[in-house]
Amino acid sequence: MNLWRPYTKAMLTNRALWFWAVVFMGFWLAIGAFVESQGLSLAGASLRDYATSWYAVIVLFSLSMLAVSIANSMTYGSGALAYSFRFTRLTPESYFGSVVGGSAVLGFVLSFVLIGATTGMFAVRFGSVLLPANVPALVGISLLGGVFYMALSMTLILVVINYLGLKSASFVGFVPLLFSWALGVAQSYVRLPNWLLYGSPFNDLASLLYQGFAGYPSAPVLGQANGAALDWAPLTLGIVVWTVLLTGTSLWLLRRIRVRQLEEGRQI
Amino acid sequence: MPSSAPGVDVLEARQLEVTFPGAAAPALRGVDLTLGDEKMIVVGANGSGKTTLIKSFLGLVPTTGGTVRVLDRDVDHIHGAVGLSTNLAEVYRLISLPIGDLVPVFAALKGGDPRELRERLHEFELDDVLGKRMHELSTGQQKLVGDLLAISFGPRLVLLDEPFDNVDFARRRRLVGRLRDLSAAVLLNTHELELLSNFGGWKLALMFEGRLFGPFRVDELDRLFLTRGTRPGALAEMTTSLGTFSITLDAGDRPMKSATSLNALVEALA
Repeated sequence: MNLWRPYTKAMLTNRALWFWAVVFMGFWLAIGAFVESQGLSLAGASLRDYATSWYAVIVLFSLSMLAVSIANSMTYGSGALAYSFRFTRLTPESYFGSVVGGSAVLGFVLSFVLIGATTGMFAVRFGSVLLPANVPALVGISLLGGVFYMALSMTLILVVINYLGLKSASFVGFVPLLFSWALGVAQSYVRLPNWLLYGSPFNDLASLLYQGFAGYPSAPVLGQANGAALDWAPLTLGIVVWTVLLTGTSLWLLRRIRVRQLEEGRQI
Repeated sequence: MPSSAPGVDVLEARQLEVTFPGAAAPALRGVDLTLGDEKMIVVGANGSGKTTLIKSFLGLVPTTGGTVRVLDRDVDHIHGAVGLSTNLAEVYRLISLPIGDLVPVFAALKGGDPRELRERLHEFELDDVLGKRMHELSTGQQKLVGDLLAISFGPRLVLLDEPFDNVDFARRRRLVGRLRDLSAAVLLNTHELELLSNFGGWKLALMFEGRLFGPFRVDELDRLFLTRGTRPGALAEMTTSLGTFSITLDAGDRPMKSATSLNALVEALA
């Protein structure tokens, strides 16, 4: 029983998600292209480094909006899921697979819409068209990113649903966004230690997105061509291991889903 | 696809207890209920425990005592039992899509034909809901869509919680007809005593303060009386916070048929 088509449709037709994951992110890209770039002498390789670092971090933020959306949907659906796993053909595995399918498609779509936005804005600002260097790699990384964020948000929200109670749901739903923001922005300005660059899935993803767009490996600080380039193999291994671990955990939690009443989540 | 064999009880509760965290009193107290391939109405006031009873059979509330078996299986270990369905709105909040897109989803989940549900929606003049999401419907429309989802796709057992709430008179009559004709076991909750006359031949149970009394037969309603205290030969004794009452046949303090609600009847006698 696979529901990936309706889940994909529900995600693709979610106007709020489009606003926050694309329009709002477009605003930040515009800040990067038109405001933050003031006073910098950018051309050729330096322009590509600069634009690519913005693209990589903005895709992280955009995917974390997908995570917020998934977490929010699950708080509304705990009763439906508990019922469906007992009294319909839906299984936790097929549900997970359906949401994975939708998230991968959406990750791909968001990433490529933001490629267009990055290319367009920087072309307007600098008169130079920047196209992604390795499209197949970006397809793979975007799909993987969508699945990673989905597994992360599902794990976090299922911990809330099963053990903490919905009062925490509003806050926990933002954890992926907070980590994306903190680690993505930090990598843009600070030389993070290697264990964090390779061990953090957010930085793995940002560095791989950078390499896919630029066509060469990222330096430890995104967009700054100093320091030894990061190796794509351990970066890929890092994000894959995190995704597998979170997938296993969320499936385990999904099989034990508790029913919560929405009103429980009301803050005041 | 697990399902019970014909003749086997499709629902069974033994000494079922449900106490919600922080609640002063249990929502269900020692409920015993057995239902075979038959239809039963549970009558009780708001807050008497009827919805909790249905949710217990669906595994949607944690029980604090007793056992619950559905389609001959422990409800905590049941999977893929497509033969059971319900009209509870919360179980249909799976995906945020228009009803028209959800029809094939629910049909696939139950292994049914989406045309069946579309035809039922058309029969109840609900074609215009197909383009709307569940939360965009009126309360009555939501209830009806839940009712029609519950009775579609050939269920073996249907659990209906207040299926007539906010439903207009014409559609109520149509729904009564569909429920009478349904070839499935039914457990139907209502607080409306006046509805009972539509369901001759069905079993009847009364719910008061989380306790279930019965079963009786709807056909006996005209002969049932409520009497304060204990009476020899009573059909059942109701121990409540307002005292003990006996349900008797053909004679007693107050006839059941005269009451607008069970609570009003008990309070009048207390």
